Amino acid sequence: MSFVWRKRWFLLLFPLLLAATTWQIRVETDLNAFFTATDSEDAKLLSGLLQSGELSRRYLLLVEKKEGAKSGPGGEVSALPSTPPHRTISIDEFSAKLVRQLAGLADVERVWSANEPPRNWINAIRFYAPHHAHLFSLNPQEDGRGLFDPAGLASRADTLKQALLSPQGSFVKSIAKQDPLLLSLNGFKDLQGQFERQAKLNADGGALILQSHPAALDSDAHAHLQAAIRASFDALNGANGSAFRLSMAGVPVFSVAAHSEIGRDVTLVSVVSSVAVALVFLLLFHSFSALHWVMMVQAASFVVGTLATALAFGHVHSLTLALGASLIGICTDYPIHVMVHCAKHRHSPLDAARLLWPSLVMGGLTTVIGYAALGMTGFPGFEQIAVFALASIAASLGLTRWVLPALLAHASLHTAHLPGIAAWVDFCGRHRTGLLGLFAVSVILAGLSLPQLRWMDDMQKLAVDMDMLKRQDEAVRTHFSSIEPGRFVLIQAADWQTALRRSEAAERRLKSLKQAGVLSEYHGLFPWLASQDLQAENARIYAQALTPQFQEAWRVALTKAGLSVDRLGLLPPPAAEPLDPGSVLATPVRQILSGQVIDGQNGVALSLWLGEHNPDKLIEGLTGLEGTRYFSQKDQLDHLAGQYRDRSLVMLAIGIAVMGLFIWLQQRDLRKVLLTLLPSVASVLFIFATWALMGEEVSFLHVVGLLLSVSLCVDYGIFFMDNRGQDTDITYHAIAASTLTTLASFGALGLGKTPTLPILAVSVSLGVTIGFMLCPLLIKTGGNGPASSV
Amino acid sequence: MKLVLCLLLALLPMAGLAEEASLADLFVRIRQSGFAEFRYEETRKLELASSPWQAQGYMLSAADGRLIKLQLQPKRIIMAIAGERMYYWDPEQKQRHAAPLGQAGLAAGQITVFRSILQGHAEELQPTYDFAGEKHGKHWVLRVTPKPGQSDEDAPSIEISGDEDGRKQQVLIRQADGESTEYRFMKTSAGPELEYSIRRLLLEATGD
Repeated sequence: MSFVWRKRWFLLLFPLLLAATTWQIRVETDLNAFFTATDSEDAKLLSGLLQSGELSRRYLLLVEKKEGAKSGPGGEVSALPSTPPHRTISIDEFSAKLVRQLAGLADVERVWSANEPPRNWINAIRFYAPHHAHLFSLNPQEDGRGLFDPAGLASRADTLKQALLSPQGSFVKSIAKQDPLLLSLNGFKDLQGQFERQAKLNADGGALILQSHPAALDSDAHAHLQAAIRASFDALNGANGSAFRLSMAGVPVFSVAAHSEIGRDVTLVSVVSSVAVALVFLLLFHSFSALHWVMMVQAASFVVGTLATALAFGHVHSLTLALGASLIGICTDYPIHVMVHCAKHRHSPLDAARLLWPSLVMGGLTTVIGYAALGMTGFPGFEQIAVFALASIAASLGLTRWVLPALLAHASLHTAHLPGIAAWVDFCGRHRTGLLGLFAVSVILAGLSLPQLRWMDDMQKLAVDMDMLKRQDEAVRTHFSSIEPGRFVLIQAADWQTALRRSEAAERRLKSLKQAGVLSEYHGLFPWLASQDLQAENARIYAQALTPQFQEAWRVALTKAGLSVDRLGLLPPPAAEPLDPGSVLATPVRQILSGQVIDGQNGVALSLWLGEHNPDKLIEGLTGLEGTRYFSQKDQLDHLAGQYRDRSLVMLAIGIAVMGLFIWLQQRDLRKVLLTLLPSVASVLFIFATWALMGEEVSFLHVVGLLLSVSLCVDYGIFFMDNRGQDTDITYHAIAASTLTTLASFGALGLGKTPTLPILAVSVSLGVTIGFMLCPLLIKTGGNGPASSV
Repeated sequence: MKLVLCLLLALLPMAGLAEEASLADLFVRIRQSGFAEFRYEETRKLELASSPWQAQGYMLSAADGRLIKLQLQPKRIIMAIAGERMYYWDPEQKQRHAAPLGQAGLAAGQITVFRSILQGHAEELQPTYDFAGEKHGKHWVLRVTPKPGQSDEDAPSIEISGDEDGRKQQVLIRQADGESTEYRFMKTSAGPELEYSIRRLLLEATGD
């Protein structure tokens, strides 16, 4: 095809490709989806909890009075506390209005004051009244002695009467008609205790809980929801003299902040990377025309990579795009090599592309191998990057070989002389022996320092730093009871009954541990759900206690209390059938337990939520309970980080080996293979040693960065070894130009606030720089012709 | 029970009702306008009780909507409304409850009725409640009844009656489930000096 038609086709297809990509692309911003593998049951559980767990979708809202406003009894806000009282709205009154407004927002599942159970809980408790004989206690044998002591019946009848006269009278009446001894409420008394403790923390009534619909890490939905919450609050506050302020906490608050931070990083990295590469390019070639065409080639490669990723995964993660932007710098290497040779040798772009094609293909192949190895480290996000790299590198290579010559047909190329390049090659040639000795000593010292290497064991250190938000979160949480979203007791079993039996055994232990001060509180499943064994035991104790004497004593007590014997005197026998989990979860109780009944593929998984606790003592306290274990999201994440790191190290080794294999297939000379790889491997060793000596904590991301640097450095070795232009100075100039563009693009990652980006920036930049410097030292060349060995 | 207290306290200012029994006048005069203390006697007929239950004590109200029911017999209990919350304190049983008025369950609609009357917004209730005033000599009666098919099925009927001198009134609340509560009031005191008592009792009820 003629150059004219190649150019026309490129200019026609590029906008079409861009349009198709824009139409197809769906950008994912969920960091968890990027980093959390789902290749084990625990990892799946962790991923699910982080994304859509009940507590992860929960907002804690705190309404407080602004400084200067005074509060009276009941949290009443008044500008003038002295009599006569100036009637202004109180915190709890304002909060109640806010609750009503927020309940109407889209994406709000329910919202309630933290001091009271939600309305649906009260209604759900009524559901248990007919089943009181099966559910009155977790320890029926022990509690039954007190509950069915005839001597206590007079007091029980008095208590019932007071309850009927109390503010809860209508609720108690509906229970008492079916359960005169109020046994079903006995099972829920711990629940009441939880709300009483909460009420002490939130005397003003300004603590609200909002359960949202969207998954915790659906940042866009939560950004809209948070804006809507703020707007509702501001409107209501404005109508009430702006006397209040609102604070928000919860996982979605962090999610939105992180999303915003990453969004800024992506934009910054993309812009700076592109501008830096363009400036380096202009510095090297002094040609806006060439820059324009090369940038179009790279943009087309980027679009191909994005489209391929979108087609392969259904979505593209924002971090893939951020790291993909850095790939522009790598892919620019191929046109740069062509253009340097073209300018220096006065070849036509087509001749230069033909001349360098084998080296370009091998360089591209080793880079793809590096990225493929990255994709196999286990990170879902890096699988995307591998696909992205494969597609964009292939596109860049193809365009460099077949389209770029057409685009540059009339361009006038001049290449700048980079100072020091020839001098360094010359210096290495003249002092090779001494430098190699120094290199050998450095390698030994580096090897000796490796045992000092410190591994990062806390994945939190890779998260976006949000100190202010954390302080706000802590301040808000002091007004709420301390159920922790990330740590719980996990019960697993093959079937429901076994799971419930295990859960009950765990709850009994937790109760003892709570009494021992090991944990502040817990949210169990009893009596919302109870095993058939426990229900049968309850029913047996109840039936045993229900003697004619007991029934008569109860009637006497009722009469003495002035209550109706006709309506309350008959204590019904236990219902024939116990409650089964299926029928319970077909009622609104499902919503109440939605965060504790975990959907799993294998059997049943239940969680018992924990308040503040001592993990070590808790784990010790749960010892011996089958199918029961302490689950910590943080520990799990840290465990995953360790797994990732080990995989990364393995993949680093495998990646280097595979690159070596492909180079061997081309060179058929083991010595050349080793020499080609040596600069990059040595740079990895030196960087590890430097980190070891500096005390830097090394994470899987550091290793991943080095893997990338190896895949890039090996290209330098290949180009330097091949030296297809028969001129070491030109080849090293081309490599220097590539290094500069790589540094410009990956260096831009260092500007990101997301810790992952600077880590990659440092790893890759150090790796390619050291690898570049070592090439002329370790690979001996004769000035022209292919390089020889050291 | 919350409902009963709310309704009761809301209708307490009826103590000031004078000769004319037109609805507009009644509503205007119902509106809370100052501190007042009433001695009360309460008779409740509960569905699950074998005989009527009786109690007595004092009620205190403030212009800003705070309402206190201090039961002294048969035992001391404080029930109160402040802002949007209701408080309950039984010192003998050491039982304390606090809940937003909005969480009055099925009776939430009736509490809205109460607050509308108290705040002088009775016109908001016209779509769902019927109001009727009667006068027999020196005795007057205001009946507030839910409109059939328009109100919540649990909405109560309220009957407030009194004499022209305004010192004694009765409030009879009949609930849809057949339970009823009757209060007899006698105004014992009025004036801002009651603020101290109201604050003290409210603090005791809230547990602060």
